[in-house]
Amino acid sequence: MDGHGTPAAGMKVLITLLKAELAHGILGLRLFMACVAIAAGMLGLVWLMGTGLSEAMRDNATRILGGDVAVTVVNAPLDRGTLEALDRIGRTSNVVELRSTAHAGSSPGSSRLTVELKAVDDAYPLYGSVALESGAAISDALAVRDGLAGAVVEADVLTRLNLVIGDVIRIGDTQFQIRDQMTREPDRLSAGTFLVGPRVLVSLKALEATGLAGRGSLVEYRTRVRFPEDTAIEQAIRAVADEEPDRGWEIQSPEQAAERVREVMDRTTTFLGVAGLAAFAVGLTGAWAAVSMWIGRRRRTIAQYRLSGATTSTVVVLHAVLVAVAGVLALVLGVGLAAAGAVILLGNLTERLHLLWSPADMAPTVMLVTLTLALGLAGASVAALSGVANLSPLRAMRDGETGTRLQPRTAWGAGLCVIAAAGLAILGLPNPSMAALAAAGLALVAGILVLLGDGIARVGRHLPARRFLALTIKQGLMSPGPVMLRTLALGIGITGITGVVATQQSLQTAFETQIPEKAPDLVLLDVQPSQVDLIRATVSETPALDGLQATPFMRTRILAVNGVPAEQALVNPEKDWVIEGDRSFSWTAEPTGAELVAGEWWPANYDGPPLVSAEEDVMQAFDLKPGDTLRYSVLGRVFTSTVANIRKEYHRTMRPEFLVVASPQPFRDAPHGWIVSLQGLDAESLSTFVADLTRSAPNVTVVDVRRLVRDAAEVVEGAILGTLLIAAVLLLAGALSLSATIVADVDARRREAVALSVVGATRREIALARLAETAMTGLVAALAGGAAGMVASFWITTAALRVDWTPGLSAVLLPIGLGVITSIAAGLSGGLGALPRGRGQLMRLLAG
Amino acid sequence: MNHARPPVVDLTQVTLAYPSPDGDVPVLNGVDLTIDTGEIVAITGPSGSGKSSLIAIIGGLEPISEGTAHVLGLDLALQNERARTLLRRRDIGIVFQAYHLVPSMTALQNAALPLILAGEDGAEAKATEMLTRVGLGHRLGHRPSALSGGEQQRVAVARAFAARPRLVLADEPTGNLDQQTGAVVIETMFDLARSSGTALILVTHDPALAARCDRTLKIETGRVVP
Ligand SMILES: Nc1ncnc2c1ncn2[C@@H]1O[C@H](COP(=O)(O)OP(=O)(O)OP(=O)(O)O)[C@@H](O)[C@H]1O
Ligand SMILES: [Mg+2]
Repeated sequence: MDGHGTPAAGMKVLITLLKAELAHGILGLRLFMACVAIAAGMLGLVWLMGTGLSEAMRDNATRILGGDVAVTVVNAPLDRGTLEALDRIGRTSNVVELRSTAHAGSSPGSSRLTVELKAVDDAYPLYGSVALESGAAISDALAVRDGLAGAVVEADVLTRLNLVIGDVIRIGDTQFQIRDQMTREPDRLSAGTFLVGPRVLVSLKALEATGLAGRGSLVEYRTRVRFPEDTAIEQAIRAVADEEPDRGWEIQSPEQAAERVREVMDRTTTFLGVAGLAAFAVGLTGAWAAVSMWIGRRRRTIAQYRLSGATTSTVVVLHAVLVAVAGVLALVLGVGLAAAGAVILLGNLTERLHLLWSPADMAPTVMLVTLTLALGLAGASVAALSGVANLSPLRAMRDGETGTRLQPRTAWGAGLCVIAAAGLAILGLPNPSMAALAAAGLALVAGILVLLGDGIARVGRHLPARRFLALTIKQGLMSPGPVMLRTLALGIGITGITGVVATQQSLQTAFETQIPEKAPDLVLLDVQPSQVDLIRATVSETPALDGLQATPFMRTRILAVNGVPAEQALVNPEKDWVIEGDRSFSWTAEPTGAELVAGEWWPANYDGPPLVSAEEDVMQAFDLKPGDTLRYSVLGRVFTSTVANIRKEYHRTMRPEFLVVASPQPFRDAPHGWIVSLQGLDAESLSTFVADLTRSAPNVTVVDVRRLVRDAAEVVEGAILGTLLIAAVLLLAGALSLSATIVADVDARRREAVALSVVGATRREIALARLAETAMTGLVAALAGGAAGMVASFWITTAALRVDWTPGLSAVLLPIGLGVITSIAAGLSGGLGALPRGRGQLMRLLAG
Repeated sequence: MNHARPPVVDLTQVTLAYPSPDGDVPVLNGVDLTIDTGEIVAITGPSGSGKSSLIAIIGGLEPISEGTAHVLGLDLALQNERARTLLRRRDIGIVFQAYHLVPSMTALQNAALPLILAGEDGAEAKATEMLTRVGLGHRLGHRPSALSGGEQQRVAVARAFAARPRLVLADEPTGNLDQQTGAVVIETMFDLARSSGTALILVTHDPALAARCDRTLKIETGRVVP
């Protein structure tokens, strides 16, 4: 058969053929390229995003925390002795944060804005740097000049107060000159609660002059420690923990900083990882189907090459080169787009989160993604290309319908490539154990689908065939190869899509619950007890204002339960946040109106030693019952109280919620502010109210909740849109991969339909037979794939994302719909592709 | 109508043109042709003269461009594709140069297809008998891809006659057969046609074969020439 003796001659033949084929042959691989490009783009994007986000969080961890360890107390600073002890352990920096009001200009009626004030010492920041627009150093910007202390602000302060650099703002009793605009605050994410206003940074000395810190307003004192180089970090942290004062503090290491952001990130990266794997599986299946299809269509060409003397290896190498060229082009395109997208998205995101990140950080991941995809593609292509090697030219010439079987050696090679690729993806994705389980799940599903396909073929073989419809269906179903290919491609596609959509829906529901409902319009902070009655009077006089709620507002830290230290008393680790840091605390004589889960309220005139009401979360954290005792600190003093009842607060209201509420004594007379929330019927009466308040109670901080809700909704909608887009792209990848399997045997189908038409089968009968046949595979694949996708998403949402599983109707209907649509499309393409319309079209096929 | 049976095929001034980017390509240019029940007619002519196209028209596979064409009493110009297909199913068997067997079906299934489509009982038994007559009794379970060209051609012949049609159209049915086998197949076809009164139109390049037919029509550049 081989007419070319020497390798050099073979080479010449190959090159000649390649030259002839390159332009034309690659075009035939369009579907393959589309599958590859989408898989590459999708896997690349989610991988780069996931890795980029988690690496940014890791790389920025000490910057976010502001030190190797940080301790936080509220209301009163740490005492001198503790501070000195910390100083001996490492370099320290002290930062004070409080919410306040900035006034533009000095006149009382001037415009005002709630700001997040942060006062820093000279050592700040211990890690990272503050970026100012002018490039100046932070210490210069904050220094006193011409008797005025400096402040640097976020852009929002300038736009919302209509100010420029050099203007003066008043905070408390002190005037600050705005020296610069701040573009990055390295420890921004360490802010405990979310920020209700833009940041204003001043020096610690200047803050002392404002007198704000002493007025009972909520103040957080943070001390960060940077250990000397070559310190044993864990030991050093333990040394810091030993210094904990009796009143308690919150101690954090870098991994614990920005808990809330981290949680959102973890969910996002996990979702991205799963979506990426699904895209990978769907894309590879599609690529494999597309190459198989292409080779199927080229059977005659291959046979002709072989008959005109090309060796098997020449033909195999020729096709391998064509597939490789097409694959590399598509891969470069896909990965390129992914990288570009990731640079834009990550750049934007890290900037918003004040994290340091550079596109160069992505380079290793880009390489890993490319390598993974290349391996996967090699596997898929080898499996498909084995069809070239095994092709018998004679049989191919006869009528092109030759069943090619995967040689065990090729199958091993292809399998190893795919396994290696999956392994790389698993190790590289941000959550390897999750990814490994997901991949194992996908492999299991693939195995089940292949078995199902084989089962269908077995059933098909035993189908009675006395009627035309039955006979053609039987013919369509009984060859295991194509049936398995179709069930596998369709099933994996539907599994991936259903899984991702159901997960996306659950994630969306979880995100949406973060948008407040029934929120008040305004929340007033730091209201002095004497001012509460004034506000009450104003609201009751103004018909357009209502819904007023006024509550004392303090901070507490739970130290022990029934005498057992809180960390040890914790029975539910998911609720550990109740002991992390300072939590909201209030006192009340009357019941608050919250639903009681257990126990009773104290009588309105109760004035004995404090009793407490705990929120349901505290009960869940410690298995708490009425009658238990809580040890907690408030305003630097430690109390031990009996739990009178357990309350359930309705979240998402943006009204103040209190983890612990105590009976009035002795808190009633301690210095503390009140928090007041209210609603207005229209924006105008609200702004009149705010303007009046500015004059009568200048110390009160006004939080415009409407704006916050809007901002929160924007962020959440952005996240939802992102996950939706990912699901949509996956849908596209799935559709492409499915169309590859459909188009795969159109030619064979057409030959068959012509033959059927010759003996007098009508178009309708042929189409019906196709439809019935594809509907059967479609339905089986859709049911199996849909069920697998649901199971997968249930597991991902509950185990990995830890949100409620709310797949929604769309996720249920999707697999059924996809199965039906694909079946119909496949059936139609069988029918349409089979019998051409138009004069001379059939004749062309009949001729040869 | 009188008592004489109408002709099986009656073409008057039939033309056929295929559209092409450079305008219509005329293939048949006014064919007049009448074939009576049970007649066996040879059609000869040079390659490209339109023989296969004529077969396609009579078989209802290609609609005519102009003229009138009656096949088995139906005016083809008035029939839609479905009606023409059903006519083919009921009454016409066709053997093509390129066989056109269903690739995924066995020889037996292929031969039985017309019977199955007609809803006849015992389709497989009848098909088996037919295949045995063309010498393929030992190849019943083979797919077309496992059959030689000549064997596929014989399956096509068996299929064409399986449902006892009133008209069989055969486009070079022995083109791929050695002389001996060819002779057997032709003999079988003649037998079947004669015994059931089936009209048979046979395209052939073989003058000897043509001579054995009732008459010979010669086609040149889309016209029947004397
Ligand atoms: N679908 C088509 N579109 C355009 N032209 C066609 C088509 N099919 C056939 N022809 C042309 O019509 C003419 C007649 O073709 P046909 O196949 O009927 O010839 P033939 O007599 O059967 O030839 P042969 O003996 O080689 O089989 C030829 O010139 C052919 O090129
Ligand atoms: Mg011809």
